Amino acid sequence: MMRLVQIFGRIPRVLLFAAAALIQVALIAVMVVDHARILREGAEVTLQTRPVDPRDFLRGDYVVLSYDISSVPAGTLKDTPSSGKSIYVKLAPKAGGFYEVVSVHAEPVAVGSDEVLIHGRVTSGNTCGTQSRSYCERLQISYGIERYFVPEGEGREIESARNEGKVAIVAAVTASGRAAIKRLLIDGKPAYDEPMF
Amino acid sequence: MSERAYRQRLEADIARWQADGVITSSTADAIRGALKPVPDGVTIATVVAIVGGLLIAAAFLAFIAANWTAIARPARFAILLAAIAGAYGIGAWFDRSRRPYLADLAAGVGSIVFGAAIALTGQMYHLGEDFAGGMLLFAAGALVAAVLTSSRGALAVALVAACFWSGMRVFELADVHLPFVGFWLIAALLAVAWNAPVARHLVALAAVAWLIQSGFGLDRSHYAEPVFAITAGFSLLLGAGLAFASRGAASLRAFGLVLSHYGAFALALTLAALIAFASGAPRASLPAPVIACGIAGAILSFVASLMERRVGPALAGLSIGFALLVVSGRLRSSGIDEPWLLYAVALASMLCLVISGMLDEVRPRVVAGWIGLACVIAAITWSVRGSLLPRAAFLAASGGVVVVLASLLGRPLRQERPQ
Repeated sequence: MMRLVQIFGRIPRVLLFAAAALIQVALIAVMVVDHARILREGAEVTLQTRPVDPRDFLRGDYVVLSYDISSVPAGTLKDTPSSGKSIYVKLAPKAGGFYEVVSVHAEPVAVGSDEVLIHGRVTSGNTCGTQSRSYCERLQISYGIERYFVPEGEGREIESARNEGKVAIVAAVTASGRAAIKRLLIDGKPAYDEPMF
Repeated sequence: MSERAYRQRLEADIARWQADGVITSSTADAIRGALKPVPDGVTIATVVAIVGGLLIAAAFLAFIAANWTAIARPARFAILLAAIAGAYGIGAWFDRSRRPYLADLAAGVGSIVFGAAIALTGQMYHLGEDFAGGMLLFAAGALVAAVLTSSRGALAVALVAACFWSGMRVFELADVHLPFVGFWLIAALLAVAWNAPVARHLVALAAVAWLIQSGFGLDRSHYAEPVFAITAGFSLLLGAGLAFASRGAASLRAFGLVLSHYGAFALALTLAALIAFASGAPRASLPAPVIACGIAGAILSFVASLMERRVGPALAGLSIGFALLVVSGRLRSSGIDEPWLLYAVALASMLCLVISGMLDEVRPRVVAGWIGLACVIAAITWSVRGSLLPRAAFLAASGGVVVVLASLLGRPLRQERPQ
């Protein structure tokens, strides 16, 4: 280890500061590029939002979104051991073009041509059983698309529309199940379109 | 003791020894000549400059925030990246002009800006709600900055972010978050490589925070009795610290000693809290891996004692053993009787810690033991049910036993003392 310290000592300090800045900038850039990749490569999935508990209303300038697929029956997973928070939900288009839940899985599974597998994290419903380590009957799932930041002052309008069931989103979902909001629809019409960068 | 305080004390001693004729003026000069120059401390001008820099940074941030929505998204993103690059650029400039404290501060500020940039980028691009994942990214970036720039500030930011990351994962998973250990080990290696007191304390503090979080995780998972698990963790911290302090390079020994200080304080306070607030049998089981952690702490203390050929670490091991016995719940009485044996063993544990510190001449361990003794006595009195008289009798009897012990210990010491 002291040898490593000596090697570091030989590198000009200015370069080390530059490298630190460069790595941090690169990490931030990776976040954005990764998001753009999801938008570019992901399959489009339209999801219906649902009213949100008043306590979770608009905080700051983002809208809290909850979906029909946010609360799902555990199905065959019920009473099986829950090893972690990770979960995969198979979706298929139903009436009105909205995607709905087909089945829930602890591991990735194969999907049909019109189906999509979306990855989520169980926020509630995986601590049942005597050891609190089994799936419950119903699971609350977060997909990382539950917030949409809007320009200042525009949140209330979307919030009201959401509570009237008029808001839907188009999400891009990659083959690995990662999702990002691509478009916000109010009354079926695009209200916000997410640019790539 | 800081380098500056040590020099002041040494200078006073040299002057006294010279006045008493113990050393000659040439010897005094030779001692002074053998010492390296005292590193420059933080001057008043530096402190004022730091405040000025922070005010300018705050003004800049407020200005950007006021016009945030009016700025186009790519421009906002560019501002964030420029702020990171700017902070490190200023840091490099300070480093070049031989102002290490300011360079360190700039790298620390750069890491904080990096964290803010993660949050704002997440907001701008509607990224997922995985706060813990964001915290991990924040911690990793700050740790890389700490490794590259040797910034204690960046290390502090990294460890705080990592503790938040671990805490959030513990809350999500309702379990112990082991990946934190890998992160902590890298930080520990840095602290040893730098041989820097601040880094040692930060790393030790992070270990204590993680052990407490792990206790909460185990409580939620119902896998193990949380108080016992936390005590076992603190025991391991104390024992491992003593083992590190017994052998190896000076920086490793110093690191081990700081770990043992934090372990001793945490152990003492946990024991007192248990007696004051917890009653009855343990709520959950005591699984073998958790018990093994505690026992490992005691064994490591005895190993340190053997390696150093000193009794002090062995007494610390005994203190750990007594503490584990107390928190295991085995000594609690089943009925309405007071757990007198439990109180006595808790007092014995803290007394061992005090004597251990005195034998090793380690003041923090002595202070930890005294605080533990005071808190345990206070806790015994606090947790009173009914009359205080039985407690008065118990404390008087304990005091009597300790006085007899002191008398027995004093005799051989008097015989050993030269006339």
